[in-house]
Amino acid sequence: MAKMNKKWVVLCSTAIAAVYATGYYSTEAQANKIDMQQNAQIHSQSSTVAMNTTQLKLPQTNTKITTKTITKTTPKTTTNIKTKTVQSRNSSPNISQSKTKQSITAPAKTVQIKRIYKNGTFTGMGENRRGSIQVAVKIENDRIMDVEISDFGMHYSESDIVGLPGEVLKRQNAQVSNVSGATYSTQAFQDAVLNALYQAKNA
Amino acid sequence: MKKTKLFMDTVVDIQVIQGSTTRKEAEEKIERAFDAFRMVEQACSRFSPESELMKACQTTQSPVPISPLLFEPLKFALEMAKFTNGEFDPTVGKVMEKHGFNRHYLTGAYMETPSNDSVSYLDIVLDEQCHTLYLNKPLVIDLGAVAKGFAIDLAANELKGFEGFIVNAGGDLFVGGVDESGGPWRIGIQHPAKKEHIIHVLELSNQAICTSGSYERRNANNPKIHHIINPKTKESPNDWVSCSVIAPFAMMADAFSTTVFLLGRKDGKKIIEEMDIEALCITPELQIVNFGGNKIDI
Repeated sequence: MAKMNKKWVVLCSTAIAAVYATGYYSTEAQANKIDMQQNAQIHSQSSTVAMNTTQLKLPQTNTKITTKTITKTTPKTTTNIKTKTVQSRNSSPNISQSKTKQSITAPAKTVQIKRIYKNGTFTGMGENRRGSIQVAVKIENDRIMDVEISDFGMHYSESDIVGLPGEVLKRQNAQVSNVSGATYSTQAFQDAVLNALYQAKNA
Repeated sequence: MKKTKLFMDTVVDIQVIQGSTTRKEAEEKIERAFDAFRMVEQACSRFSPESELMKACQTTQSPVPISPLLFEPLKFALEMAKFTNGEFDPTVGKVMEKHGFNRHYLTGAYMETPSNDSVSYLDIVLDEQCHTLYLNKPLVIDLGAVAKGFAIDLAANELKGFEGFIVNAGGDLFVGGVDESGGPWRIGIQHPAKKEHIIHVLELSNQAICTSGSYERRNANNPKIHHIINPKTKESPNDWVSCSVIAPFAMMADAFSTTVFLLGRKDGKKIIEEMDIEALCITPELQIVNFGGNKIDI
């Protein structure tokens, strides 16, 4: 019996190990810093070209990881940069470096015109039955990267404790820290997210 | 310290007992834990055409290399399908889509994916050596019963340096270490009928608890259908209204809570006892039944 259990435990632990082993979870700097990601992405793009001519020192694994996540999220920018860097292939490595740096701003501008939303973090307000809520929506190249509930006004609190049966309450005066239940949906946050998106919209 | 974000169409709460960690360090670690959710969502979501899963599934009859963020939870789901002879089946995706569970929670966009009518988990082949996915025919994979659990496990792994922490993804959670007072965390089980109430209380440490229930996410047009659908009958099982499973990993608790819900009373009980894990299920009459293990108390 315990043998059966072990099989599933092993499946779970090897699953976690596999993600780390292949470097998908960057063990160094935070992959969530989008600005850094972009820098890293642009940097690595230019350096792969430069690598052909000189031995530019690259934090290999790290940049590899970040490009992986980035190519998924910003295909547009990637292709733009690629064409630019190919042009600079013939020039000396120093110049190619500065040229690609210029290209960082150039394609960003052209893409931005087509974008529906501005890049950045935008605050949205909404109401649900627990009260008002505030969310911070981070947008990157028309993609929602992150939605943080920035106002905890509606959070589970006293009301949940009130629901405890009397006898249970008597026996444990400490509060219940969390509740396990059927996965509740994000519907209650929809208005706040839409509100943030509205503010992020390019005119 | 506690932060809340939205991922995978639910509310993800991460709470840590800061201890001697600086505020900045704690914040960074929490962000990394949230990254796990972003990565798994981008890999496994069937609600986004750009996810690794949906892109990979555009190819049939030819192996496609996939990342471990997709490979591992899919492998787990297929093992569960094998174990239950297809009572649990990740190819239920198209049935879910047809029942209206096909709207992206942030963009509001609807998914309509081409699929064969007759599909099963046997149409999916994973290659362990090459890390590839092979689909026999067009189908929609739903990793709803494993992906969130997997993200919780990865997040928990990032937080294990803290004296205590909780990763709570919309009612599925992993509790690490101890709470503020140095004791085990107290976790309530949601009352299936009364939203603001708790039906039971557990004390847990370094364990995951996931609950599958029929009281959230119901089909708007058909009151008999909720978000757990039997792939064979294409109907929602109703032996239980809620099934909570406690296991060492959230992916395991997640998958088994769904499976026990699907299998119903007799077979659900059987596999939990075989597995030597603990489950607490609630009948439509609100009777609490617990089986497997003996740590469930209070």
